[in-house]
Amino acid sequence: MFDLLFNLTDWLRSTFLLDFSFWITETPLSLFMVENFWNVPLAQVFHILAISAAFGATLMLSLRVLGKAGTHQTLVASADRYIRWTWWGLLVIVLSGVLMITAEPIRNMVNAVFWIKMILLLVVVALSLGFQKKVRAAGLVGGIEARASGGLKTSALLIVVLWALIMLCGRWIAYVPV
Amino acid sequence: MYPQPTNIWESIEYSSLGISIAESLWAFPTIETLHVIALVTVLGTLLVMDLRMLGLASTAVPIRKVSDDTLKWTWMAFVLAAITGTLLWISKAHSYMINPYFLTKMGLMVVAGLNMMFFHFVTYKTVDQWDAAASPPMAVKLSAALSLVLWIVIVFCGRAIGFTLGIYY
Repeated sequence: MFDLLFNLTDWLRSTFLLDFSFWITETPLSLFMVENFWNVPLAQVFHILAISAAFGATLMLSLRVLGKAGTHQTLVASADRYIRWTWWGLLVIVLSGVLMITAEPIRNMVNAVFWIKMILLLVVVALSLGFQKKVRAAGLVGGIEARASGGLKTSALLIVVLWALIMLCGRWIAYVPV
Repeated sequence: MYPQPTNIWESIEYSSLGISIAESLWAFPTIETLHVIALVTVLGTLLVMDLRMLGLASTAVPIRKVSDDTLKWTWMAFVLAAITGTLLWISKAHSYMINPYFLTKMGLMVVAGLNMMFFHFVTYKTVDQWDAAASPPMAVKLSAALSLVLWIVIVFCGRAIGFTLGIYY
């Protein structure tokens, strides 16, 4: 596994990403991010707080679909309560993430784990869009008694697992051999 | 070989468990990953409850219901965060015990615990009167605001530890 990641990163080093990363390190934003000791840790704090808001909301909606929490509410009410927190949270996650990439472009972009994380992020965004639409549709038809279908429950679980995997990748960007 | 421990924290750090975690290539990052997943779950579910107590979200749902929905997940995640946090701490106990951000974090977690206990054992006694209130009494709001501020600072301290571990001797 480590060998595969190392080889992938080695290949990334031969692409335009290396020159691109070096170019980023010269930009004013990158210089600003690294010249103050606290800028990178603060961007990470915003990243973690936004993940808490987005993942917490995602988890609560998934638990509602799975029948493990909030079953006193309709699916539509749960969707209305939580979905916006996932997307606004994701906006802050992306913005703080861009700051972190700008501060340390080589450590991030010339790194196989970072790109695995980005692919997983795109998958979870696509899956969530379809999932949220179907949750609302199921709720509108069935009211408070609406039962989520097996497929919807599988998606609910998969979305939570994908978020966990994305967090795993996020932490391992710092540790993987590059 | 490791030097002879000169205090209790070094003894913990140089225990077989501490050394195993510190020397392993994967143990520390793996435990840390679980710690991150656990702590965002703690904070994410707390946020749902605190926003309800502040009267800012889920206002149509009684506070007791929101508590039923979130509290068990908050606690399960907290237990995982505490276990993984302890394991991380064992692997570098001495470095953590001289780090001001670590000590501040532990102190603030005690304050957060006291705030939570005051809410549950004192403020919560009158829950029947404000269970369904869209805007709960000031004591409830203060408790929720304090909880959010404390946990946000705790996250900051947690991240600061990772950036300052080698600075203090």
